[in-house]
Amino acid sequence: MDNDYFSIDAILAENQKVQCKFKQRIPEMGHLGGGSERDITPLNKRQIPIWLAYIIIYSDWADFDIPQPFSNKVRNALRAEPRSVRLSNLVGAGTGWYVFGKTIMDMLGDEQGVEMSEMLVTTFKGRLVDVIDQAQHFAALGPVGGGGGGGIDSAPQMFREGLDTTERELFVLAQESARRMKKWYEESSGGTKRVA
Amino acid sequence: MSLPQSLRTSITPPELEFIASQQLIEIIPLIAMEKTAFISGAFGPLQPPRRAKTPLWMAINLKLKKKCHIVAPEWLSVEFLQSRLDEELSEPGYSRLPFRYAEVSKVLLDVASDDIQSTDKIRSLLKDLREARQAKSREGLEELNRSELSLSNLSSMEINEIRPFFVHAMGILTHLHRDASTED
Repeated sequence: MDNDYFSIDAILAENQKVQCKFKQRIPEMGHLGGGSERDITPLNKRQIPIWLAYIIIYSDWADFDIPQPFSNKVRNALRAEPRSVRLSNLVGAGTGWYVFGKTIMDMLGDEQGVEMSEMLVTTFKGRLVDVIDQAQHFAALGPVGGGGGGGIDSAPQMFREGLDTTERELFVLAQESARRMKKWYEESSGGTKRVA
Repeated sequence: MSLPQSLRTSITPPELEFIASQQLIEIIPLIAMEKTAFISGAFGPLQPPRRAKTPLWMAINLKLKKKCHIVAPEWLSVEFLQSRLDEELSEPGYSRLPFRYAEVSKVLLDVASDDIQSTDKIRSLLKDLREARQAKSREGLEELNRSELSLSNLSSMEINEIRPFFVHAMGILTHLHRDASTED
């Protein structure tokens, strides 16, 4: 999840679209929005993927709004209770909310960027303890990853399904290490070293 | 690297047990042995009934062949562990325990339970200690920030357990952070 050119997470995150309002007239580029016009006229709104939007905004041909996954509504919900928001619903499957947020944050100016960074950080820290708790709980339940475990009450399960991709990686790491510890504590040292 | 993802971030518990088994421990040998050279050093001579200090792996080996008795280290006793447990429950930091207490105690309890007094009580004390310390790590998780983390007196097994996700989480926090002054 870094700005590495080859980072798969960054590539997937940049594929997300963002709403842009063009300021200048751009001839013959109407197909970008999927519409039937030939040109893009000023004040026209289009959905552009970030990897393209970055250059357009940098060259000052358009402005963009903060995309829906980070709108004020989401922000307030997160401030109220970070663990109840389902991050995987806000962005599509495959990308992460955090990675997307970081890409947007890099494009924003100072003040908005810091605000965004605080939102990302507080959300992450708020959810982190729960992620780890659930991972350690699941260490006992066999090799299935985050989605399994029927027969448990639905609130933890819904939380797990709402986990972002970065959180899922953490979940898997914690679960693995907990499972190894459990296995080691249960096996006996005397058995393996027994010599006839 | 060709290791699976989960093994790239930490050592496995059996490996830690192996490393811990190089510690010296006192035994009462039942057989005689001259000073013998091993790869890690020369040990012996073993002259029953005098006590001798050998590495833990050798002690375990002899014990399994019923050729020695193991003398429990002084920290593996009910009084010591009970006092540490009380300290653990009353103070916010971690109490001081031998660095590899988890590995050594597990091995000794498995192999030499007849040489140690009140093994059941010791097992339950160790379990309580482990759970109390885990609860403290969980609290520490909430204070996680991106720059530094200082947890004194953790044992090697505990460090190994929390290292993967602590380090990964700190990395993510570093990515998400943004300084107001340095960015353009």
